[in-house]
Amino acid sequence: MFSKILVANRGEIAVRIMRTAREMNVATVAVYSEVDRTSQHVLTADEAVFLGESDPAESYLNFDKIIVAAKETGAEAIHPGYGFLAENPTFAQRVSEEGLVFVGPPAESMRLLGNKTTARRLMSERNVPVIPGMTAAESDICRLQAAADEIGYPVLVKAAAGGGGKGMRIVRTAGELPDAASLAASEALSAFGDGSIYLEKYLDRPRHVEFQILADMYGHVVHLFERECSIQRRHQKIIEETPSPALSEELRARMGAAAVAAARAAGYVNAGTVEFLLDRSGAFYFLEVNTRLQVEHPITEMTTGLDLVRRQLEIAAGLPLPFAQEDILRRGHAIECRIYAEDPERDFMPSPGKIIYARSPEGPGVRYDHAVYSGWEVPVNYDPILGKLVVWAEDRPSACARMIRALKECVILGVKTPIEFLLDVLSNEKFQAGETHTHFIEEFFSSWRPSTAGDDLAALGFVVNEMLGPRTVERGASVGPAQPISPWHRLGAWDMIR
Amino acid sequence: MNFRLKIGSETRSLEASPLDETRRTTVMYGEITHSVAVDAIDDNHLNVRLDGRSLNLFVGAAADGAWVWAEGRARFVEDADKLQRRKSSGLLDQPVAVTPPTPATVMRVMVEVCQMVEKGQPCVVVSAMKMELTLAAPYAGTVTAVNTQAGAKVMPGEILVDIEPLTEAKADE
Repeated sequence: MFSKILVANRGEIAVRIMRTAREMNVATVAVYSEVDRTSQHVLTADEAVFLGESDPAESYLNFDKIIVAAKETGAEAIHPGYGFLAENPTFAQRVSEEGLVFVGPPAESMRLLGNKTTARRLMSERNVPVIPGMTAAESDICRLQAAADEIGYPVLVKAAAGGGGKGMRIVRTAGELPDAASLAASEALSAFGDGSIYLEKYLDRPRHVEFQILADMYGHVVHLFERECSIQRRHQKIIEETPSPALSEELRARMGAAAVAAARAAGYVNAGTVEFLLDRSGAFYFLEVNTRLQVEHPITEMTTGLDLVRRQLEIAAGLPLPFAQEDILRRGHAIECRIYAEDPERDFMPSPGKIIYARSPEGPGVRYDHAVYSGWEVPVNYDPILGKLVVWAEDRPSACARMIRALKECVILGVKTPIEFLLDVLSNEKFQAGETHTHFIEEFFSSWRPSTAGDDLAALGFVVNEMLGPRTVERGASVGPAQPISPWHRLGAWDMIR
Repeated sequence: MNFRLKIGSETRSLEASPLDETRRTTVMYGEITHSVAVDAIDDNHLNVRLDGRSLNLFVGAAADGAWVWAEGRARFVEDADKLQRRKSSGLLDQPVAVTPPTPATVMRVMVEVCQMVEKGQPCVVVSAMKMELTLAAPYAGTVTAVNTQAGAKVMPGEILVDIEPLTEAKADE
């Protein structure tokens, strides 16, 4: 095993990786930009290296600076987290060329899978079902129009290099295609440095069901069951759960086998996720492989009891997987809610600012992976994720109830968050019945507004707080020499406890 | 004591008697009277008994008001009387203009000086936290100045494009 690793990321995921490393007795190196000098990941690591300006290109995306940081601190491996360099094959290759270990798949698998059209071709060759659509990127509008006619409207314009909904457009009529294609291409170019786009059939209200896979260097591939991530806004996941309410054991086994086949087809090593869309008839289609640790990986950890970061580090260090498919069991139900600095009333627009006060939810079955503290300023430079609230309970209804309870304990003041929105989604009858699909938010929550009951309590809190007046002085006054002498002072040493 | 509080776009009034020595008060929302007892647990944490029901409320003071959180629902509350005073001094008179809603980076400027623009016509594309936003013309008119360029870091309130409104007479021409 490595004795020291560098985590080339920030925020909650960097903190999460460092926690497992510490448990494995692996020292951690954080890297940070100007604006992150006192961010939580810097405070959590054993040592920290300053990279440069806050602009990602000068810091978290800068190959040279990250590699120098790893070499100077004596780190043997680099964990990329998610986002930033996590799915960049050029970086993965560079890391190996420098004699360091990249904690993730080989650059070659990433290249194959990172290009969605290549991946689609590869999967259809291996009999993994794919959504009807183009198998090569295209920029010529006439050919795009011909392809759209063949696939049939509505079609989805997608970025060949992309993910996370960037560069994605739904096109319902031929007239909308030219504008949508040029917008998608420009968004793809700025987000991924590659403006290639392609078209595929747009499915009506499918579910997003993905399978976690683990593969070691010796050709041993297993899946860790599914996660359903149908609740999305702006094509980005906001609530994830496992197991999916839509899968029978028989369908789960078939999809799991397809996921393992997909990983094998790409020569995959390390942790990855095979994403599928599941339509209303129970047919599933390969969507893409995310060649990284996913944001929503904790729900799989909760139900399988396995630590995915530990597995990633072991696989990267050349250890074989210590279990077979039939050894992997799951128990109970887990849900994750993503908490971003964003405003659900204004189309989930980012809402950066200073966290005036934060308090974490606790108690049975609750896991809160976050990087927030009172007084911390949410920077505008990066993805506005604050944390992930994860619960586990014995079944789905108990997990929903537990998530509602935990969300009501999660205090973040100073920026807008979707906590109240999430509470209303979790309390929704259709959500509780498990009738989720990727357009759920659009269909039932597009005109969502916060409740007036919340206004009444806020008004009350404001008024009583004003009437109480400032309190810091009063508290400070009680810490003085006038305090009665406690028995602890007289007893001196703590020896008596033995 | 009378309070007029602004929460979102709504203003509500309520009346409270001063806290007695056991930190009890009565609060009146219109016709309804509630008995309220409060303890300050720390600077941000209040425990309130509203008609006997215990609630933990969290308060964070900001420049123009305070964030108040109750049972997962957070609100920014402003004192409407103080707000009125600021408003009459002109501090809140924000013109409707081409300005980003959050701190952002300019990706593209899509208009030029002297160009006529329609209401809703895209003027500037900015990027904030990996998301692209199009800032549109708030009204029809002529661009009189472009105050930014691609790559510039811009803040809310900063007018990126000056537009002289189209007058009725010109519209008829």
